[in-house]
Amino acid sequence: MWGLGVLKGFGITIKNMFRPVITVQYPEQRLPIPERARWAVHAVFNEDGTPKCTACLICVKECPDHVLRVESSTRPEGGKHIDTYVYELGACMMCGLCVTACPYDAIEMSHEYELATRDHSDLTRMLLFDVDAASPRRTPREDAAPAPTGTEAADA
Amino acid sequence: MSDGHSWHSDVALEEGRPAYLPRGLKRVPRGVDELATEHLVLNMGPQHPSTHGVLHVLIELDGEEVISAEASLGYLHRGIEKLAESRRYHQVATLLDRADYVSGLHTETAFALATEKLAGIEVPWRASWLRSLAMELNRYASHLVWLGTFGMDAGAMAPFLYIMRDREMILDILEEWCGSRMMFNYVRPGGVFADIPAGLDAKIRAWLRVADSYLDDNDALLGGNEIFQARIRGTGLIDAATALAFGMTGGCLRASGVDYDLRRDVPYCAYGELDFEVPLGVNGDNLDRYTVRVGEMRQCLRLIRQLVDGVPEGDFTAKVPKVFRPPAGESYAAVESPRGELGIHIVSDGGLTPYRMRLRSPAYFNLAIVDEALAGGLVADAIVTLGSLDIVLGEIDR
Ligand code: SF4
Ligand code: SF4
Repeated sequence: MWGLGVLKGFGITIKNMFRPVITVQYPEQRLPIPERARWAVHAVFNEDGTPKCTACLICVKECPDHVLRVESSTRPEGGKHIDTYVYELGACMMCGLCVTACPYDAIEMSHEYELATRDHSDLTRMLLFDVDAASPRRTPREDAAPAPTGTEAADA
Repeated sequence: MSDGHSWHSDVALEEGRPAYLPRGLKRVPRGVDELATEHLVLNMGPQHPSTHGVLHVLIELDGEEVISAEASLGYLHRGIEKLAESRRYHQVATLLDRADYVSGLHTETAFALATEKLAGIEVPWRASWLRSLAMELNRYASHLVWLGTFGMDAGAMAPFLYIMRDREMILDILEEWCGSRMMFNYVRPGGVFADIPAGLDAKIRAWLRVADSYLDDNDALLGGNEIFQARIRGTGLIDAATALAFGMTGGCLRASGVDYDLRRDVPYCAYGELDFEVPLGVNGDNLDRYTVRVGEMRQCLRLIRQLVDGVPEGDFTAKVPKVFRPPAGESYAAVESPRGELGIHIVSDGGLTPYRMRLRSPAYFNLAIVDEALAGGLVADAIVTLGSLDIVLGEIDR
């Protein structure tokens, strides 16, 4: 009969009124974020507060958007000193390639997702500033990639 | 006046093409010369809500009737193909996610398959299987978007809201799995980026238990509705010969009755092992495209059931050197994306980055048919027909 489908549609609409609510009252209520979710890049520190980063610049070369910038100098007593580790949050696409590439687990994809800001300059973050870099002799990760060397690094 | 364009006298006019004719319009609107009833040239888009993105369609109207139509593209052009030439192979996936942003995993997989073909990488069986499972989930999510927006094009608002809620369940699964809801960056040359998280299969099964009844509801709400049927039956006719001539693929081609599905005809990933049917249409009207896609969604659920039950043991990725240089040469690989044959052609000169990457985007070919499909119909049907083609502008404009 013509119109039966329309009536059935009303039935489905009524049924849907009794389906449980899936929206939450943000920001009072928040949905859990899965472990793997990728949001802003954060630096990782050792327990004593020193950064894990060795200023090896692998992440800088890995980032497709060129949003990471590490400036380092050599300490007089040897070893590296990170002057600045700048992260352009506004241009980052949260792909996670830098974190996968870092052989020292010195950065991570955090779960910080409320990234809106009133001031454009907040989108340029200083992940590390004026600290001594970790010594690369400290055991790198098991499956770490060898740093691209020589010509390979040059045309990468 | 000179015989050039009225604004740019150095631009020569085409023969028989008046200067007032908007760029991109093929012919002089009939009736203008005689100054009889003038035809109206309507700019639909690029900000029209029913064009699914930034599509601009020039429609020539005689009253309510469409005389001709032409798509004007490029509003979402980001130069993805050119950018890929400066990205190393594992970085290209981040671009391709943004090409077809409704089903990123298909584009990623096509690129990975082409790279593997080029470099002769053997992909572990588990990786192929995981790719297929993720792609089918993504296909279902993509078809849900289409179903909702197609209903909305015809004026049905409620189904869209229910469908988006159902899609959210898949996006939650994919976020837990790939780390992102739409910009997955999951499939890499050699395999996938990470294994399926423990416990996710239970979540997929829990979703599968309700997915059928939700789909039945949505189908009854849209396809079961006689008003909706009357709207979409017999409009937007595309016959099989025209569809083939325009290089259409995917659901749009199958709705015209051409039996062609890459998953079955040129199996890739795990599809050779799976049991599924390819729904076909007869006439190639909007109703056929609707039935074919909804049928495809049911097959999709069937595939996901098989895939989630049979995930094999093994590695999730092959060993690919970090500094990866495939040999010089070229390769082409295609996958059946929700919109049709999505192909990636890579030319390598042996360097770290592709020398050239070309994306064969199915929606581009499917959209080329607008003139044939819309002409002769009413302007209200034009919107429905455009919706039935399931276009994604990110992929068309790249
Ligand atoms: S240690 Fe990690 S974070 Fe630091 S420069 Fe190297 S790759 Fe980047
Ligand atoms: S997440 Fe991606 S875009 Fe962002 S800094 Fe890391 S590599 Fe660059």
